[in-house]
Amino acid sequence: MTRTSRVFQHAVLLLFALYALVPVYLVVLASLRSEADLFSGPLTLPWPIDIGNFRRVWFESGFSQFFVNSLMISTGSTLLVMLTAPLAGFAFAKLKFPGKEILFGLFLAGLVVPAPSVIVALYGDLQMLGLLNTRIGVILPQAALLLPFSIFMMRTVMEDVPDDLLEAATIDGATLFETFTKVVVPIVKPGLLSLALIAFLFSWQEYLLPLVVIQDETLKPLTVGAATLQGRYGVDYGGIAAAGIIAFAPIVVLFLVLQRSFVRGLTAGAVK
Amino acid sequence: MVAVFPCHPQPWDMFMYNSRQALLFVLPALLLYVAFVAVPILQVAAYSLFSWDNGSIKAFSGLGNYQRLTSDGVFWTALGHNAIWAVLTLCFPLMIGLVLASILAERSPRTIRLMSALYFLPRTIPLVVAGIIWGWIYNPIFGLLNYVLDLIGLGSLGGAWLAESGSALLSLNAAGAWTFYGFCVLIYLSAIQSIDPSLYEAASLDGAGWGQRFRFITVPLLKSTTLFLGLYAAIEAMRFFDLVWVTTQGGPGYDTEVLTTHIYKTFFLVGDFGYAAALSVVLLAIVLTIGGLSYRILSQS
Repeated sequence: MTRTSRVFQHAVLLLFALYALVPVYLVVLASLRSEADLFSGPLTLPWPIDIGNFRRVWFESGFSQFFVNSLMISTGSTLLVMLTAPLAGFAFAKLKFPGKEILFGLFLAGLVVPAPSVIVALYGDLQMLGLLNTRIGVILPQAALLLPFSIFMMRTVMEDVPDDLLEAATIDGATLFETFTKVVVPIVKPGLLSLALIAFLFSWQEYLLPLVVIQDETLKPLTVGAATLQGRYGVDYGGIAAAGIIAFAPIVVLFLVLQRSFVRGLTAGAVK
Repeated sequence: MVAVFPCHPQPWDMFMYNSRQALLFVLPALLLYVAFVAVPILQVAAYSLFSWDNGSIKAFSGLGNYQRLTSDGVFWTALGHNAIWAVLTLCFPLMIGLVLASILAERSPRTIRLMSALYFLPRTIPLVVAGIIWGWIYNPIFGLLNYVLDLIGLGSLGGAWLAESGSALLSLNAAGAWTFYGFCVLIYLSAIQSIDPSLYEAASLDGAGWGQRFRFITVPLLKSTTLFLGLYAAIEAMRFFDLVWVTTQGGPGYDTEVLTTHIYKTFFLVGDFGYAAALSVVLLAIVLTIGGLSYRILSQS
């Protein structure tokens, strides 16, 4: 390869790294500045670092509670997905039963269903069930909407479990459920971790469902909290920036630490 | 895969459990899915056939709600924006993803890991927060974009990006692309890594440069990946909501209105349940059609 084309390629790689990073840098910068010099002066980080904005939104604007709510809602949805999708994925990959194709097709169709398209009915249903304005009312539909992707991914993962192992377990007298918990689950652990991460990521980022279901200030997750702060006190840029960082920092850290598992999960199904 | 595991007849078949047990494995997922996705879809379809008053059914109206679609200018505008969004996504993040992935693929594993993590970083940020950040970048008074344009002497190009009808949708799409191109890089990368390296070596020996290898090996062999991403992008272009809602709420005027925001407004702000349901059915019909097509095309290729 010629020198110039190599330099050019490096430039392209770096340019798009900047595209990714500059907005993130901006919000970090805004979160550490006082309101007075927020968007004036040099674009360098202030020193010493002032975490006043974080302290303010965390203690005064309710973000400690929003954080706990996000954690509870995301953990709840992830748990529900983990309790249901691997079992179903295993059945679709390895077992034979009547109606299998139709059932799988039913789940597959759900891959494209957007939350806004069911909200008209879901709202009334949740109201009828007394789940409006509760965290459970977000967790249940959230998990349900995640199921198609999760089952699809789990089926792909379970297909790679060797039949011999299942057979051996059966000969040893294990029930189907024992085979699943003692033989299958240990083998597909990396796949399960990927699924858990992705379910958590998507629930953590969800905005429409909690926006619609929850009115109570003390039950809101971070996404709704940040949008409210932006709408109500649109001028407290430092505070909004700090709120935004509280809303994405945990996921960014999780992603950076467990990048391999994330990538495995995201590319599952896409590349086969 | 089929070649590696010749599957028929499966040895596992001999020890088949009765189907009732297998159904028990599917049942928990099925219950949850039926209760909170399948039934609501049927309900929405049913609701769309009635006229509503204050949250309760007034009268059966047949296809009356659907007839209103033809004269609802906002609906067609919104649908057009969804289509433009899909085309823009195909043009920008997908192509950038392909180019970045094919450059990256020839680098060391460490570089690949680092750079793909960087590109993907924006996707880990909730779209609500992404919307807020980009709202600031586009701000006409203190926004970074106008500031940078000023610095390089192009200040006259600056404007109120999200508040002007000419630029609002495009500007919003650049923010959407920001959260999507890293995903494209990841998908393309893993596809490129599964291409037989000897193809590239042979081409290099024959004197093919990077551009030629890209054009004659990478692009044609990744056709099905591009197809997958394209269909995925089309579906996402119909589904997205958060980014518009926190930035422009469909404005200025209806310049960034999309189907989902139109549904949301019709349901929560106007309170017209029947028409909101009809709009939802249209949305579902479109995504299910694209989804069905995708399944067909992708399982053929």
